Amino acid sequence: MNPIEEFIFSFADDEHLIGQQHTEWIGVAPFLEEDLAFSSIGQDELGHAVLLYEVVLGLRETEATDEAIDALAYDRGASEYRSSHLVELATTDWAQALLRHWLYDTVEQFRWELVVGSSNTALAEIAIRVEREERFHRRHADALLDSLLASPVARPVLLAAFDSLTPFIANLLAPVAGETEAIAQGVVSASITTIAPLLEQRVADRFEQTLSITADISNSPGRDVRSDHFQTLMDRMREVIDYDPQAVW
Amino acid sequence: MRAITGAANSATAIELAVHAAVASIDDPEYPGISIVDLGLLERLVVTNGHVDIGLIPTFSGCPALAMIGQDVSTAVRSVVGVESVEVSWLRSPAWSVARVSVEARAILADQFTVAVQINSGAAPRCPRCGAATVEQSMFGPSRCRSVHRCSNCSETVEVMRS
Repeated sequence: MNPIEEFIFSFADDEHLIGQQHTEWIGVAPFLEEDLAFSSIGQDELGHAVLLYEVVLGLRETEATDEAIDALAYDRGASEYRSSHLVELATTDWAQALLRHWLYDTVEQFRWELVVGSSNTALAEIAIRVEREERFHRRHADALLDSLLASPVARPVLLAAFDSLTPFIANLLAPVAGETEAIAQGVVSASITTIAPLLEQRVADRFEQTLSITADISNSPGRDVRSDHFQTLMDRMREVIDYDPQAVW
Repeated sequence: MRAITGAANSATAIELAVHAAVASIDDPEYPGISIVDLGLLERLVVTNGHVDIGLIPTFSGCPALAMIGQDVSTAVRSVVGVESVEVSWLRSPAWSVARVSVEARAILADQFTVAVQINSGAAPRCPRCGAATVEQSMFGPSRCRSVHRCSNCSETVEVMRS
């Protein structure tokens, strides 16, 4: 795989799968406002995934048709995806989904900051427009956590949910294949691993907890290995396509 | 945006006709409000019968983009003198509510009970009675709107923001 493409896929696939995960709360979130929030946030993330898949098509000098974007989103082999295990994780636990939303969007902000001055003009332009949308995501997660963490009932539930997700952080922030070349070519300004101390600070501010991930990152499996949850998620996303692959839409 | 409206002396007849064709397309969420009035048109270039239209989306995940693009393409193709049309969604600049025209804001308020929040620091005003509104839900029925309630008349107010 072309290293720059591989680097872009690590971001695009994360956006695609977290978007899918959020949309699965439509109709089953605990209250109406959360239905609306998770579906809107999921919609944004899917929109960002499309923009990033378009960057890959741009590198290939291929026209970004709907079919070409769908092929990148749904038709690659499992071993070609570069998603993190956090976004592959299936969960029916809303506390875990909320904490993943907070954790993912916190890291996502720092990831966009790393490409805001990218030598890839398309990527730099996307980083600027995306931040306008992402601030709503962070405001949403923070507003809910502000009120829920103050509740003696909700607080331990949320902290337990957070603990259940910390093993995924090292994989999320482990060096991404292709990033050495991407840094050399100015596509990204620094390694994704540089986000670790920034996240540790946000966790300390938010949960009054110490998170130490730097040591775990070097022992983490990379993004070329799919978690057990991936195939189930992909099968569900492809359910209609696979039902009749010859159908014309 | 190319200043075609209000600057007729600098625009050719075909440019004006193409602009009118784009402006004939309403936002699917707001029948009666043109996408031009919502600030979606960024670029309009006519070169020897070829039309290049650049639009910007309100939010990247808006599901109506393909439909709007198709509608614009069809409308422009029917303009006399147009031979080919290319409609593209631009990555830059980012849309903001400041692009929504004064006329569109009035229709949004009167017909859709939608307030446009230009200044994020001030509470949006109720289109019915003018009192301050209070946010009920950060996300609403579409990506570009949140849901507020009027502190005076209790009207539910949708707020368009960026």
